Amino acid sequence: MTFLIRTIDQTATGREIVREREVEGDRLAIGRATTNDVVVADLSIEQHHVVAALGERGMLSLEAAGDREFTFDGHRHRAVTIDPAKGGALTLGLYTLTFGREADGRTLVTVTQEEREFGNRDAVRGFDLASAIPGKRAAAWIGLLLILGAFLAVPIWSGLARSDKQPGANGPDRVAWDSSWSTGQLSLAHHSLENNCEACHVEPFVSVRDETCLACHRDIGDHADRNDLARARGPMGTGEALLWQVAEIFGKEGPEACTTCHTEHEGAGRMEPAAQQFCSNCHATMDTRLSDTALGNAHDFGTAHPELQAVVFAKVGSDKTRRVTLDGQAQEASGLRFPHAMHLSETNGVARMAGNLPAYGEALVCSDCHRRTADRNGFLPVEMESACEDCHSLVYDKVGSTFRTLRHGDVAQMRADLIAMDRAPRAPVTRGLRRPGEFKRGGRYFQDFGRPARNYIGIAQALSEDGVCGECHIPTTSGGEATVMPVFQRDHYFLNARFDHEAHEQEDCTSCHAADTSSKATDLLLPTLATCRECHMGAPAAAAEVPSTCAMCHSYHPPDFRRRKDGPLSPKPGRIAGLPAPARGRE
Amino acid sequence: MASLFSRRDGAAHADIDKRRSASHESFLAHRAFFWARVAGFMSLFVVLTYVLVDVEPRHNGGSWYGYTLGTLGAGLIVWLAWLGIRKRRPTPGSWSLKGWTSAHVYLGLSLVVIGTMHTGFQLGWNVHTLAWVLMMLVILSGLYGISVYATLPQALSENRREMTREQMIESLATIDRQLETAAQPLAREDADRVIAALEQDVFAAGILARFRGPGSRDATRRALQHISTDRAYDDGADDLAQQKVRALLGKRAGQIDQIRRQMQIKALLEIWLYVHVPLTIALLAALTAHVVSVFYYW
Repeated sequence: MTFLIRTIDQTATGREIVREREVEGDRLAIGRATTNDVVVADLSIEQHHVVAALGERGMLSLEAAGDREFTFDGHRHRAVTIDPAKGGALTLGLYTLTFGREADGRTLVTVTQEEREFGNRDAVRGFDLASAIPGKRAAAWIGLLLILGAFLAVPIWSGLARSDKQPGANGPDRVAWDSSWSTGQLSLAHHSLENNCEACHVEPFVSVRDETCLACHRDIGDHADRNDLARARGPMGTGEALLWQVAEIFGKEGPEACTTCHTEHEGAGRMEPAAQQFCSNCHATMDTRLSDTALGNAHDFGTAHPELQAVVFAKVGSDKTRRVTLDGQAQEASGLRFPHAMHLSETNGVARMAGNLPAYGEALVCSDCHRRTADRNGFLPVEMESACEDCHSLVYDKVGSTFRTLRHGDVAQMRADLIAMDRAPRAPVTRGLRRPGEFKRGGRYFQDFGRPARNYIGIAQALSEDGVCGECHIPTTSGGEATVMPVFQRDHYFLNARFDHEAHEQEDCTSCHAADTSSKATDLLLPTLATCRECHMGAPAAAAEVPSTCAMCHSYHPPDFRRRKDGPLSPKPGRIAGLPAPARGRE
Repeated sequence: MASLFSRRDGAAHADIDKRRSASHESFLAHRAFFWARVAGFMSLFVVLTYVLVDVEPRHNGGSWYGYTLGTLGAGLIVWLAWLGIRKRRPTPGSWSLKGWTSAHVYLGLSLVVIGTMHTGFQLGWNVHTLAWVLMMLVILSGLYGISVYATLPQALSENRREMTREQMIESLATIDRQLETAAQPLAREDADRVIAALEQDVFAAGILARFRGPGSRDATRRALQHISTDRAYDDGADDLAQQKVRALLGKRAGQIDQIRRQMQIKALLEIWLYVHVPLTIALLAALTAHVVSVFYYW
């Protein structure tokens, strides 16, 4: 029994070297150890891996020497019996042993070996980070598409594709994902529009239009005529002029548009009021550009502001108004006689009388007559019944314990009441005859049929300079009858500014209104600019008690209802119905 | 001799000299820091004007000043990104690639000032701030890139010890071949450790492993530890084989460490481009979205 071992090796150039040797015996040891008949120099193979033994009829049995299996003809075995004549291949790592039978009966074992590759010159690329990281190109594409898709394509597509292009549309008709375009939160007034960009940004690539703003802000007053605005504006800075030139190319509406001053997306909160400089741009030297303006130049309340002017009734009995400059000498003609100083005195008869009346203090004070409006901003009209009549009584008769009083504000009624007063002594119709019993004077059924001459005298007296009406009113004649001049009083004096009394509550009235030294009702008791400047100076005046911007008193958009004669602060119509002169004066 | 050369020749020589010396000059120091000075003055100018220009109601990308800075910044971004195309076309002109790169670095840094002043410090969760953030990240990654380019090539060269990368791989393969032969007498368990070590691919390291560098536990070190632990070596054939394997495993670990260190330095050198380039493209996208959206909702 002999095994013929044929070993086929390959040189580096690929040439085959075939070596043959014989192993005597019927057992063939195969493994990694050098003591084996066939040495398999592969580390994955056991030192003693397989034993091949020749058995009966030339059959060859292969058996694992250790506990590792072997692969024969592609199948794993622990033991297998084969016929060498039929061939077969035992695979051990990189080695292949093929079995056969020579013509002379020897069992042929052909040993071939695959070359193991060590190293790989291509591995040089493995040094680079590129072999372990996803490519730059892929990452760039992903980023590009994600950003363009989410922040550009979706909002634009959904904006163009929606069917109902209404501001405030909801659901599918709303522009999607455009909140990423918002540069900041809206002011509180516009908070409800926060997620509704298309409410203001109506057309793509068209700046926010005035008409869009005015769709909601219908009652906003115009500051001035648009052309006047353009003419009045001062020279622009180079940068600003350039910006407007560029903006015009892109279709902006111009410097007079709402959005020029009212910038949005500046964060939640109140919209910022315009700065003083915003006003002074035009008003500082406006007379040089707008020659026909009645307004004086102004750019800082503390240093450059015209003297204050008030709207007053110019002539007693007329509702014609005019503006007077508040220089401390200004007069108004209300048609009343009222010495403020006398009423505010703490020592005279007025004070004595006030002290005797339960509703008043030791002397009169302003608030005894001037009552606050509900908003504490201004004052209610002074009404004779509540303010004056406690002292200036209109009682003309007494029946039992009840006093009869004339009705104030209605001369005809007063006249009728006094004529009808039957207690004034009258000349009897007949002389020398006296009626008897209960019909005599003082009796229960007495009736005085005499002419009420004393009554007429009473009327004439009341309406005279020294009469009860003449105490406060200026007597006059109308249509041949005695009457008094109608009274007109302003409830506000400023045409282009507002004044808030509530903000000045901590001040005494007399620190602005010199009522305690005024002896005539014609004195216009309004403070001068200098008085205001004791506290108020311009916005940059750090040392002033109250640095004041223009917007503290002036509004860019004047609410124009304040200028109408029948504005809400006019007195009740019934109060003046009986006055003989114009129906709609002011008291 | 001077008369032999016309003035023109002299000038040409001076030119060549200049170019030669320029070839040793870093792109950072190009033309005596010309672009550094340009960018520095520009940034200073922008900061000063930002403080001095009175914009109502406050600084904002939509004021005339904001639009000016925005236009300048957007132009710069596009031009800076153009380097990616410019560097692939080696067409020398009056602008050498080195000069271009120098300008890229310094003008890119000045963009920190221009872009940030353009925002007026009004930042929020929106596409506009996204563009600013991407711009800042791109600039930061570029700064990192410059700093590693300045320091790491020295370390890379030191680590190579005058070996090429091919030589490192070849050295490893030689060790492996010797190791396989030497390991033949080893017992099963030891042989399995050697097989695991041989099968280990040093280049299969992931991104994090590359940044960790050499010294990490791997199949080679495990095999080395296994074969060295608690063994008293004798002069017997088995012990001699084990000692030989152990020595080879030690050499293998050393070679792997050199390769790993090489990969680590390369990773540190190259990683910034994987941030810089994709973020630049993302920035261009965000910039487009920023500009279009501003005028779409004007």
